[in-house]
Amino acid sequence: MTEQSGIIKVRTTCPMHCGIEACGWLVSVNKKTGRAIKIEPGEFMDPSERRICLRGLSQLDYTYHPDRIKTPLKRVGRRGEGKFESISWEEALDIIEKNFKEIAEKYGWRALGWVLGGVGAGSTKFGVYLRLASLTKSTRVSAWGYGDSGLPCGSRIIFGSQIPYGQLMHRLIDPPDPDLIVVWGCNPGEAAPLRWFRPIMDIKERSGTKMVTIDPRFTVTASKSDAYLGLRPGTDTALALSLLNIIFKNGYQKNDYIRKYTNGPYLVRLDTKKFLRGKDISDSKSKADRYVIIDHEKNEPKILRGSTKSAALTGIYTVNGIECKTALQLLMDLADELPPEKGSEITGVSAELITKLAHAIGKAKTTTFCINMGFTRTYHGHTSLRAMGTIAAITGNVRAEVGKGRNFPVLNWDPFLKAKPDERSYHRLGILNMYDAIEKGDPFPIKAVWFALTNFVNQCANSGKIVNTLFNNLDFIVTVDTFLTDTCKWSDLVLPTTSILEFSDFIPHPYPYVCIQQKVIEPLYESKSDVNIASAVAERLGFGEYFQGGEDGMIDLLLDTDHLSMDGITRESIIANGCFQLLNPIPESMETMPFPMRTPSKKIEIYSDFDYLIEAGEELPYYKAALDSPIKNIAEGFPLTFIQGHTRFRTHSMFGNVDSLLKMNPEPLLDMHPRDAEDRGLKNNDMVVMYNGLGNAILKLRVNEGIVPGTVNLSEGWWLKDFKDGGVNFVTHDIVNPVQDKIYEPNMSMNSAFVEVKKYKEEI
Amino acid sequence: MGSQYGLIFNLERCIGCEACTVACKIENNFITDTIQVKTLNTINKDTPTGSFLQGNLRMEFQPHTCNHCEDPPCVEACSFNALIQRDDGIVVLNQDNCTGCQTCVTACPYGAIHFNKDSNIAEKCNLCSHRIDQGLEPFCVICCEGQAIYFGDWNTPQGKFAVKDRKDELYVRNPEFNTKPKIKYLPLKKPRGL
Repeated sequence: MTEQSGIIKVRTTCPMHCGIEACGWLVSVNKKTGRAIKIEPGEFMDPSERRICLRGLSQLDYTYHPDRIKTPLKRVGRRGEGKFESISWEEALDIIEKNFKEIAEKYGWRALGWVLGGVGAGSTKFGVYLRLASLTKSTRVSAWGYGDSGLPCGSRIIFGSQIPYGQLMHRLIDPPDPDLIVVWGCNPGEAAPLRWFRPIMDIKERSGTKMVTIDPRFTVTASKSDAYLGLRPGTDTALALSLLNIIFKNGYQKNDYIRKYTNGPYLVRLDTKKFLRGKDISDSKSKADRYVIIDHEKNEPKILRGSTKSAALTGIYTVNGIECKTALQLLMDLADELPPEKGSEITGVSAELITKLAHAIGKAKTTTFCINMGFTRTYHGHTSLRAMGTIAAITGNVRAEVGKGRNFPVLNWDPFLKAKPDERSYHRLGILNMYDAIEKGDPFPIKAVWFALTNFVNQCANSGKIVNTLFNNLDFIVTVDTFLTDTCKWSDLVLPTTSILEFSDFIPHPYPYVCIQQKVIEPLYESKSDVNIASAVAERLGFGEYFQGGEDGMIDLLLDTDHLSMDGITRESIIANGCFQLLNPIPESMETMPFPMRTPSKKIEIYSDFDYLIEAGEELPYYKAALDSPIKNIAEGFPLTFIQGHTRFRTHSMFGNVDSLLKMNPEPLLDMHPRDAEDRGLKNNDMVVMYNGLGNAILKLRVNEGIVPGTVNLSEGWWLKDFKDGGVNFVTHDIVNPVQDKIYEPNMSMNSAFVEVKKYKEEI
Repeated sequence: MGSQYGLIFNLERCIGCEACTVACKIENNFITDTIQVKTLNTINKDTPTGSFLQGNLRMEFQPHTCNHCEDPPCVEACSFNALIQRDDGIVVLNQDNCTGCQTCVTACPYGAIHFNKDSNIAEKCNLCSHRIDQGLEPFCVICCEGQAIYFGDWNTPQGKFAVKDRKDELYVRNPEFNTKPKIKYLPLKKPRGL
């Protein structure tokens, strides 16, 4: 904090849920009025790390927006009507206590669901609700399925990790620079410009690295690339298999790497599709579960014990009367079925471009695959991730060993996840599973919902079903927000929370730092931080003792860990250092540690033999069309694929009401290729209806060469107020992929929606 | 030799985000967009030129702001001493002297001077001369998401502003206006293919 002529300057951290860029901010506050008057980028250690975005710069318009909710609100009209009366916090807490206790008595505590949206870069604002869920043994409704669980579902299978950034993208941070960067199905130039796109541009500039973008849209990222592959949404797996086809045909695969770090050499039984195990060929109990390889020098099977150095990578073998192939052979057989000409038919990308990219990846010494959630927000998105990851693995481009660097922060989450030290006490539901829980009581009924850090109606699949069916089945809805969103309008009780300038939190980002988000100004109006709201509710439910110390107390609790990553790092030390602090380095002795792959084999699993994957025909990343799914039943007559790119003008739905940003981006626009527009007699700027059997959205058309024909795009996050009728998610479905349900939790496949578009005619 | 300050917009790094537009308004309390980011050769912002099916799409952003011309027509046009050219080359609009006559708005061939209808005075980029005088860089430079804006002195170009390897590619907008802009551009590089 620095002081000068009546102005205090406070260094803080932006916790917004963008690309989790965790920018540093320096906020000027008028000492006399207590009003924040300016935000500028704050320093880290190196001036090149100084950064802010257009939304960050607009934060004061958000904080001091005239539409801020000022007091707790109690619904007086019908749900959805938006009529409320102002009440005191005491009254609000009375209503919460009464309803929670009634519902708990009638249905049990697990009928109360805490629907917690994006935590962003923050921690305790989310943690306190988990703590309440733990203490009351109610239900945590996970936010991954909002559209972000396709990636972990795929990553869990192939890498055994939640998010494979560390495996795939380390070369964007750690030298040496890669020879080739493949941006696959994401748009960091707009969605993660500061932490990801800057390094990509730096690497291009510094090392002349070539860059390729694969995306249904010609984005800003594509515009900076040396080649662009405009594929049809959801066909990433077909593209990947065609690339593998050429990679294998030319022998580009890195055999030593495959042997050492993947399960490619392991034998797979052709009858059961399971891995051949010691027990299949030997009576030895101690070897029963071990994998089996073929020793290529002796040409005989060997029960694996340690090194795979001598393992054969390909071939068909009969072992103890059982027909087997190596996992790599099975992958090669699969890739063999998709030559580039066939891949081209499916993806829309020319066979020539596919071939050239395969050669480029094959010949590059190192390739970095840059990914995010976009291409996994499809019905088979987990498979797309696996297929892309398989290319990275086969070509030796997955980080397999820990290099020099710093520890990732390991925090003390136990007090939040467990009511008692040895007991995990909340129930867990994926957000997409909650639909059935509310509608059908499956797997158990949810009767009351607490929404925080989310605009559920706006951002979740099948908005029509949410407002017409789900909400009718709920006895009690509470929403915590800064603005009266559409979710608030359907709630019985609305609680005003603070903007990000009005509370403190711990920010376990941006690597290699951890930061503190400092409270810059006092909470406006009667708003309270999420921590203080949760504490007040806890007090009423008899758990006040668990929330001592407010925001600072919760931060200290989270940092109370003996993990060496956080040794010596405290709230006070971070603030004293300027609100950011470097994480502790990885000890010298750990430099050659294998990068942890938490798969059953502890290797990169290019083949997986989980029973549910075999049952679903997904032991390898087979290409399946989006319509090769129950979506087919609702897609007939709706030939266009609808996708939702992310925009720089909002962070999901946040900032959707900020005038300074709306001025540059005043209304929703539907991107359509000129050929599709011509087929429908539509012109640029026409008002159109995008519709299917679920609902519609009425908006303006933007005829755009930069989108693959047969697909339309509308950026996610527009508020319902911005449409003549309907909205973004009135045309998306809530169909669950049962495989994802088994792996982790099902994803909303927002980019596997099917629509038709026609000219809007005003009804008179 | 005195300083002649200017900017280079490196369009290879400009991601069209418009943070500069927002930053300029905040720093200077402007209402109009004194920096405007154009998508070149297209009627729709943020869309490419060329053809998807022919595989020749291109999209290039170009921020437009006051060019701080060496021969500034606006300074000549203003009868009220509201527009002056400083010794360091910065063309500054002193709003205290502005009468709102809008002669400068017409005089600027680049359309870089904007009229604030609420306050009835002109608004334009002053290159953050108030920050430069304190030894700071213009606010848009430190807020640029792509780190695409380089600030420097044309008489003694240093660091990124010296553009060692791409000097020949530097250009100004509409040189035929003959006003000698001190805001220059580095174009987006051509895709190299695979």
